[in-house]
Amino acid sequence: MKKFSYAFGLLLILTFCVAPLLYLFSVPEASNYAEVFKNDNTVKAAVNTFLVSAAVGFCCLLMGLPLSWLLTRTDLKFKKYFRSWYCLPYAIPPFVGAIGWIILANPTSGVLNQWFGLGLNIYSFAGLVWVETSFLFTFVLLNALTLMDQMDSSLEEAARLSGASGLRVFIDIAFPLLKPAMISGFLLSFLATAASFGVPALIGGPARIYLMTTQIYTFQRMGTESGLQMSIAISVILAVATLALLYTAQVFASRNKNYSVGGKSSRPSNVPLGKWNIPLTTLLAFVLFLIFILPISGVLLSAFSAVQGSWGFSNLTFANYYRVLFVTEETPRAIGQSLLLGFSAAFICTIFSFFFNYFIQRTNWFGRKIAAVSVSLPFSTPGTVLALAFILSFSHGFFGADFFGIELSLYNTLFLIGLVYIIKYLSLSLKTVGDGYQQIHPSLEEAARISGASWWTVMYTIYWPLLRTALMASMFLVFMPVLSELTMTILLTGPGLETIGSLIFQLQEYSDMAGGGAAVLSSLVVLFILVLNFSLKTLSKGRYGL
Amino acid sequence: MSGVHFENVGKKFNDSVAVSDFNLKIAHGEFVSFLGPSGCGKTTTLRMIAGLEENTHGKIYFDSEVVSQPDKKIFLAPEKRNVGMVFQSYAIWPHMNVFDNVAYPLKLKKLPKDQINSEVLKILEVVELKGLELRRAHELSGGQQQRVALARGLVMKPRILLLDEPLSNLDAKLREKMRKDICKIQQEFQLTMVYVTHDQKEAFQMSDRVVVMNRGRIEQIGTPDEIRHKPASDFVADFVRSGE
Repeated sequence: MKKFSYAFGLLLILTFCVAPLLYLFSVPEASNYAEVFKNDNTVKAAVNTFLVSAAVGFCCLLMGLPLSWLLTRTDLKFKKYFRSWYCLPYAIPPFVGAIGWIILANPTSGVLNQWFGLGLNIYSFAGLVWVETSFLFTFVLLNALTLMDQMDSSLEEAARLSGASGLRVFIDIAFPLLKPAMISGFLLSFLATAASFGVPALIGGPARIYLMTTQIYTFQRMGTESGLQMSIAISVILAVATLALLYTAQVFASRNKNYSVGGKSSRPSNVPLGKWNIPLTTLLAFVLFLIFILPISGVLLSAFSAVQGSWGFSNLTFANYYRVLFVTEETPRAIGQSLLLGFSAAFICTIFSFFFNYFIQRTNWFGRKIAAVSVSLPFSTPGTVLALAFILSFSHGFFGADFFGIELSLYNTLFLIGLVYIIKYLSLSLKTVGDGYQQIHPSLEEAARISGASWWTVMYTIYWPLLRTALMASMFLVFMPVLSELTMTILLTGPGLETIGSLIFQLQEYSDMAGGGAAVLSSLVVLFILVLNFSLKTLSKGRYGL
Repeated sequence: MSGVHFENVGKKFNDSVAVSDFNLKIAHGEFVSFLGPSGCGKTTTLRMIAGLEENTHGKIYFDSEVVSQPDKKIFLAPEKRNVGMVFQSYAIWPHMNVFDNVAYPLKLKKLPKDQINSEVLKILEVVELKGLELRRAHELSGGQQQRVALARGLVMKPRILLLDEPLSNLDAKLREKMRKDICKIQQEFQLTMVYVTHDQKEAFQMSDRVVVMNRGRIEQIGTPDEIRHKPASDFVADFVRSGE
């Protein structure tokens, strides 16, 4: 029974995490690639992708590394509050920030331009990098915070006893020790930019800066065979580049493994910032205002404004909320479907992780490593590419084949959207529940077996209750990104298949520019995610959540 | 109550040999200790009795019933062996209180509720934990947790009770009392008991017979007096002397 379940789980993973990508890779022929490199636009998109990603990666480091040190090792004022606030953008979909900044700084009627005459233009290379950075720096920050929490503080104490003070300690000791976090943080934010769709579409589009993801979308939307071939070829190039970079990073990381982390120290002492404390606290508050509070305020202003484009506090109203929620026909459907998809994906990922992790953590059966790598594959593949792989596999690929004369096409169904969500985020769930398993001593299971419990009984009476917190966290961690997913959804959606993410995009891009509809839904998404994150943090007593 | 019989039992992990050529007959109601330095294979052997490890060679019998014989693909799962075990780490389930921890094996046997109730309370009295039924694991001291583990092993009326270094996490004074209590319980219940330890004083004080192990092999089997006065090898002589 156990071995059968394991084999079945492994088969599911290989079928859904690996096969669609392999199928995608097998489709293009040499001539398709030749066409990509002949076409000026696609070459330009590739160059743009590299330039924007590199710039964002660099800016993320510049912001994330000093922040991580200030938020862990110093006596900065309000350190604890800053820490949770600065991590928050990680949970909020970046396209919300893009919508906020378009309201604040579009060249024709941006709030900041209108009120202060700042002459900002968000539709630019700098604007694109700024919005991406203001969210993706959290990749660097979270990575570096973990490392900082583990770092032996006696290393810094020794430097202080040697006469180094304040920032000197950061420059001489902490910064060099953060090197592994630097490289992996840079790569993570680089790759996240290359894989992003919402921000490049909303901000890069009007600025005529196209990235590979937006190009794939455009070609796919053409609906022609040649357009589809182009989008597939670009996808394969993007996926191969991404996976190659990730692999390099992993090799590098494993070589640097023993580099920085010392033993646990009981109570790390803080480096005093002295006269720098007040200026740095002020600076951090100001940056937080710029990256988080300002764009969210922009979204709120637009959501409550009766007239868009002529900003002021005199024409505030709830009319937009009423119209979007109760008049617009698609909204209830989008919200309902997003909730349904979110719950189903979270539930299925969590149940699967609960059982499959048992085999990964508690047996030495063949194929565990392969399973772990296979599950991480769709998570690291850009969402655009993954969605395209599933569309192909399920429309004309091997899943679309006739079964006993019944055509089994899942293309253009809610089921396929849900399946892609599950495959994309299974990795998050598997890791969360796996960490939970590692906290449970094997003797707790053995004692139950000895007492007469079969495997099923052990799973039900021992692991299920002991893993409750981890299982709950896994539910939240899948539910949150799925709720407002855009990158993959935009390729999979169609009439009647609206989700919150795709509806916001549609309202912003085409149908409701003047009504603040996208802002209304965005404000609700932010509110909902803040509530979810807070509940997770409270329910798990601070172990999970930001 | 059962005896245990090992016939040429061995255990390989991939390439390394953990236990080999293990031959031993444990009689009904006997108290046998496995004694040796860490890594000598004593815990692995104990876990093979429980079925938590599968032996790769030889046969293990409970009385005349073969419970494990790899060349014939016979292997009785641990939950079907009716063996009690006290773990070094206690293995008290943190999501259950004392009563539920002890009642767990009886619940799995689907005994009627009032019978479970009375048997659990009876056994808690034996291990001197009466009145703590509703406490949770983290509200108990190390010694109390050990007694919960003992009660859980006893309540199922096991064929054999296994103890894996049960006292190594307790302080010296408590250890002395627990040794006496365990001996008393063993005699009272006429238990077949296998006890793993690296502490020769403990083994000599409590056991009918001691099995001295080294590098996966048996060095000597004998009563405490025999081991002490007629060591069969230099290793045994050294090991016994080093403890005094």
